[in-house]
Amino acid sequence: MHPNETILNDYADDLLDPVERAGVDQHMAACAACRQTVEDLREILGAASELELREPPVRAWSRLERAIKMEPRLESGARGFPLDGARGRQPGGSGGARLKGSRSMWIAGLAAAAVLVLATAVGVRYLPANRTDATPAAASAPGGAAQSGAAQSIETELRQAEAHYENAIKGLEAIASSEQSELDPRTAATLQKNLAVIDQAISESRAAVRSQPASEPAQQSLIDGFKTKIGLLQDTVALINEMRKGNEAGAARIASGLKQKGT
Amino acid sequence: MRVTAPIVFAGLALVAAPAAAQDHDHDQDHRIVLGDIIRTSLKPGAYQGRNNGPEQTEHFSRKVKIGRDGRFSLSNIAGDIVVTTGGGDEVSIDAVKKTRGDKSELARVQITVDDRAGRVDVRTEYDQDRRDRGSRTNHVSVDYTVTVPASVSVDLHSISGSVKATGVHGSVRADTISGNVTLTDVPKLEAAKTVSGDVLLTGITTDGDLTASSVSGSLRAKGVKARGIDLGIISGDINVSDVTCERLGVKSVSGNVEYAGTIAKSGRYEINAHSGTVRLLLTNPAGFELNANSFSGSIRSELPLTIGGDSSARSGSTVRGRRDAVNSHSMRATYGDGSATLVVRTFSGDIIIAKR
Repeated sequence: MHPNETILNDYADDLLDPVERAGVDQHMAACAACRQTVEDLREILGAASELELREPPVRAWSRLERAIKMEPRLESGARGFPLDGARGRQPGGSGGARLKGSRSMWIAGLAAAAVLVLATAVGVRYLPANRTDATPAAASAPGGAAQSGAAQSIETELRQAEAHYENAIKGLEAIASSEQSELDPRTAATLQKNLAVIDQAISESRAAVRSQPASEPAQQSLIDGFKTKIGLLQDTVALINEMRKGNEAGAARIASGLKQKGT
Repeated sequence: MRVTAPIVFAGLALVAAPAAAQDHDHDQDHRIVLGDIIRTSLKPGAYQGRNNGPEQTEHFSRKVKIGRDGRFSLSNIAGDIVVTTGGGDEVSIDAVKKTRGDKSELARVQITVDDRAGRVDVRTEYDQDRRDRGSRTNHVSVDYTVTVPASVSVDLHSISGSVKATGVHGSVRADTISGNVTLTDVPKLEAAKTVSGDVLLTGITTDGDLTASSVSGSLRAKGVKARGIDLGIISGDINVSDVTCERLGVKSVSGNVEYAGTIAKSGRYEINAHSGTVRLLLTNPAGFELNANSFSGSIRSELPLTIGGDSSARSGSTVRGRRDAVNSHSMRATYGDGSATLVVRTFSGDIIIAKR
């Protein structure tokens, strides 16, 4: 029987007592899947230690909260490992299924986190909505030196924002691609088609920003496109996650979260 | 570490990505990667509910006491759901399992009814091997026809199949992944969503907020009154008429948006569309402040607007005014008492404001 995700997390965190740790060591000696999970977790820990601490905006928590709600076991905190009776045991099912569940759990977390970090990096800084419209004409008007400087600053911020969004999208796509999951073909085709629609919108907006860097509608449209794509990708990952676990009802509920993001 | 580890890992993916990955021209790469994702998940036979043989059916029928203010939920995988209302305090569940494969497949699909005080939960459950997309049970679909007391709250979920509810006066949530959602005379609608399919709402009156969305399909609502309405779609049209709300949020990537209805004093209405035309047909508006912009589309108003809040710049069918308030693609203006707020943005679509 495999240790559950909590045990493996604690193992990676070096929080287990010697007896528990020895049990996990013994199990991992013969279990490549658990070894891989622990390696993944350690990689996460190593990378985390190098991250800059940032304060997320309040709205970022709603998506994180939703992802956490997708994983009821997270809230139940059930632990089970045959090497330690005090930790209890998981109910029936194969160890493989539990491992899949474990992986599913942190995948759901990753999807949420991608948006969380993105919002942290971009959401606070890039808030053009209440700014006066900055067209190229305005930027070149008399006394426009300051405006030009401001536009340049905005463009720089926009490029930084783009980079963050690009990375978020890459992260989510990587998460999804690593999961060879089982979506209904029609649903998969629909999602693919609509991601292409969003890609087209992003492409148009990007071209507009390149041709008119100070255009607020172009900037806002580009950011909206990124947000929408991230939202759909995040939900796609969540959907794949539920289907992979065989939780069709959960998948249907995920569908209720499949909506336009970016508000 | 527990929950924090994955969160931080995503942070790594986002914040500490290699510089080379920050090239801005990655759209094509994204498509390729996602195409791979989707292709890996394209497995035949999933939820098609059909095979090549004659249709085999098995009927299921059950009545359960739920009480007039109870809560009913139904989670289906493949097949349609139809909910209507009736008298009494029972929920009547009729279901038909269908397959065009071997009749024995039908027995491998169970309909589970959990009956607790004031609550009835129905689920379609397949044998454990259902997740093998080639398994025989994937050819079974289940169509439900349910009758509930009118005041019962209803929660309907499906993976592949349409969801339809009529006359339910308790709260209603309905969603499916592939299929249409049609809700009529459900005054306490909370949410109606689909990934691939249309959403059609008729005769909704609620004191609260309602949300409707589709990834690919259309959203149509007629005769809807709610405090707040949120509508979202990626590809498809949004068409709402005879609508009354204090707050509206609409987001669309590809498709037209038409809102025909009233605007409330102090109401806020935000519409964001990428490529579609946004048309606002307003019924006797007392007034609003308009902030509209479009990158390449035009902005037209059939209402006389005061540009930038300056009454000297009043105009008629097409607004022209001070440069800081309006240009060919951007407009800030006021109509009437300016009590409501309209924020409309498009990238390439036109924005049209007219009186209904």
